[in-house]
Amino acid sequence: MSSSPAAQPAAADSFGKYDPPIELTTVRNLNDVVENNVLSVLKGETFEDNRWTRVYEELLGIKLKYDWVIKGGDTSDQYVQKLNVTLASGELPDFITVNAVQLKQLAESDQLEDMTALYEQYASPFMKEVFTQEGSGPLDAATFDGKLMAIPQVEASIERSMYIWIRSDWLSKLGLQPPKTMADVRAISKAFAENDPDGNGQKDTYGLGLTKDVFGGAMGLEGFMAGFNAYPNIWLEDETGKLVFGSIQPETRKALQALQEMQKNGEIDKEFGIKDGGKVSEQIAAGKIGMEYGEQWNSIWPLQLNKNNEKDAQWQAFPIVSESGETPKVPLKFSTTKFVAVKKGIQHPEAIIKLFNMHLEKNWGETGEFDKYYAPPNAESVWQLSPVTPYPLKKNLDAFRDIDAARKAGDMSSLKGEAKTIQEKLEMFSSGSAEGFALWGWERIYGPEGSMGIANQYDQNNQFLMDKFVGTPTPTMVERKTTLEKMQNETFIKIILGQPIEEFDKFVADWKKLGGDKIAQEVNDWYESLK
Amino acid sequence: MRKRRMWRELPLHLMILPGMLFVLTFSYIPMAGITIAFQKFIPAKGLFGDQKWIGLDNFRYVLDLPNFIQVMWNTLYISSFKLVLGLAVPIIFAILLNELKNEAIKRSVQTSIYLPYFLSWVVLGGILIDLLSPSGGLVNSIIKSFGLDPIFFLGDNKWFPTTLIASDIWKNFGYGTIVYMAAITGIDPGLYEAATIDGANRWRKAWHITLPGMRMVIVLLAVLSLGQLLNAGFDQVFNLYSPQVYQSGDILDTFVYRIGLLEAQYGVATAVGFFKSIVSLVLISSAYYIAYRVAKYRIF
Repeated sequence: MSSSPAAQPAAADSFGKYDPPIELTTVRNLNDVVENNVLSVLKGETFEDNRWTRVYEELLGIKLKYDWVIKGGDTSDQYVQKLNVTLASGELPDFITVNAVQLKQLAESDQLEDMTALYEQYASPFMKEVFTQEGSGPLDAATFDGKLMAIPQVEASIERSMYIWIRSDWLSKLGLQPPKTMADVRAISKAFAENDPDGNGQKDTYGLGLTKDVFGGAMGLEGFMAGFNAYPNIWLEDETGKLVFGSIQPETRKALQALQEMQKNGEIDKEFGIKDGGKVSEQIAAGKIGMEYGEQWNSIWPLQLNKNNEKDAQWQAFPIVSESGETPKVPLKFSTTKFVAVKKGIQHPEAIIKLFNMHLEKNWGETGEFDKYYAPPNAESVWQLSPVTPYPLKKNLDAFRDIDAARKAGDMSSLKGEAKTIQEKLEMFSSGSAEGFALWGWERIYGPEGSMGIANQYDQNNQFLMDKFVGTPTPTMVERKTTLEKMQNETFIKIILGQPIEEFDKFVADWKKLGGDKIAQEVNDWYESLK
Repeated sequence: MRKRRMWRELPLHLMILPGMLFVLTFSYIPMAGITIAFQKFIPAKGLFGDQKWIGLDNFRYVLDLPNFIQVMWNTLYISSFKLVLGLAVPIIFAILLNELKNEAIKRSVQTSIYLPYFLSWVVLGGILIDLLSPSGGLVNSIIKSFGLDPIFFLGDNKWFPTTLIASDIWKNFGYGTIVYMAAITGIDPGLYEAATIDGANRWRKAWHITLPGMRMVIVLLAVLSLGQLLNAGFDQVFNLYSPQVYQSGDILDTFVYRIGLLEAQYGVATAVGFFKSIVSLVLISSAYYIAYRVAKYRIF
């Protein structure tokens, strides 16, 4: 793409300017970060009139107008309620960001523009590349009866990768090596619980941190179970090409049994079943837990809390391991959950696609000015001023690769964009200042032994195992999913706490009977319909 | 004659008007939303849009869900204990407190028991987890010092409902006590003097003067709280329960929250809400009737 994309015939449509300008209405939430860290430091910019709205108006001829703006996060009660009222009133703005269930309801009530042909015609090559970086999932999720009914607000599933976060200062204190197999993980967990790693003469430490939610991005079990080839909560393809649910497979039973043994041995807090993430993070902060499975950002939360308490504590991310020592699969839950729906009958539905094109172009394209539009040093979240925020799905991994290459070449001057911003944080940390100390978590992600290096390794080894079901919830899922989830977590926790493993077999039978079989049927029908 | 009376009372009738308008706007008009309970409701089509009518299917669906009986039982069990003890404890406490003659002690006791009422369950939830922990909590340290086994109050299905009831009473009884104390101050001191002259001791006086003097307030609070029988306390349960104690702790409101709101099944959520309202109406009407027969109590 040249510096003036509009001059190129092939891309003319994707970036074509409306003359005279058109107006598009939508609704927004204004979160604390944007209000306090962005708008308050930018001179002469407001939520309605800022660098993003100006780009859209000057380059595309699109004026954005907000029907309403609610202060608070996009999951805050006020915002969700106002959004629900807007949906219930049936008076939609020109475009609106909704979740999968809302999208389905809107599509079923025939209120949305069919975007199939427009996407083909107007999406820039860069946008199409980004939207297929994780396969057809994001687009499939917005497709009903073969029609694309919304533009997915793509999210990187790769960020759901699991790592083993271990207190490496405890490892060296006890003379242990990083794990290569699940047996090693068990041995480390045992040593952390029994060999007094904190040296206070009491048996008051635990090997593995768990919460009452069992799964999740921090202190979750996905990574541990993957070590047993068990992939709960996601849909997998079996040898016959059918989709099956990971939670009810025999491998999950085996993983639960291992956890039960660890719990009996005092390696897992007997009270984990009533503790949420906040409570367990208190234990981590107090130096009582030495290992947890979680995502790449865990060093920022909750582990930095521990670092703040104990200056000499050190945590490091390690790749997840398998029982046999072979390279394990890393399960990824599908993460695109928001969709930009376009109201039926508006004059320029394709304009919404142009917003996506422009957002990608201004941040990561040839004409991109990352420092101005994505994360200027004084206002890091400036990108959130745009109502659509697509991003290349491997951008964090790419930033790591750039930094790592520069680090190895010993020349940081070549870094630009996001990589440069991150490198500045790493330098701040190594300066040893108090401000830099607060950035320890970042060093643990992008530094030489950071979690992103492992993501890179996962990616190169092709270790990712994507959730195979990416459609909107099926009818029986809507009806029964919470009931089945409740049963699952109840059973899993009880087994870990010592109930006979046969409870698992009863759970599988009940799961099937209480709607699971029907859900599996619907999921497979959906899967067939894609072929 | 009759007409003139109406005329004279007109200002009084006008004074009710704002209140009636308020009730009409915020309590009666929204009742139209009950229709959602009988629809396969799709929000995008609007409240009065082209929704599909499905009769009693939402109600049938809820009754069919596994565990519904268990949830119903938990709700009734937990809330009826809360109801009875929530009435009895403050009454007893108010009477005992009334016997205290030292004003300073009386006030400080009153204030300190009232304090937990102001803490939200989110905060109390975190405190209770620490306080009741079987390994390091204060309560279990005391139990252990008596040579007994520690109790997992929040993780044991045998103990969880008791914990809910006890912590709820502990949080709220200060409030009730103050209401009853106020009722007691309204009792004619002459009655006590007369009883003293007749040679009545403290127990006699409490039984024959204080308690009957509080009767009206007790009946009023009892009638009002009966309407809440199907509310076992969403805030509290939501902040204290966990998968380990779903079996004994899941109540109607947490159940509806998970089924109805998390999955956007508004029709189902409304059906349960409607069901609860009907049961509450029956309960409060019969309580009112009984209160009239037994205690000659009526509001109008």
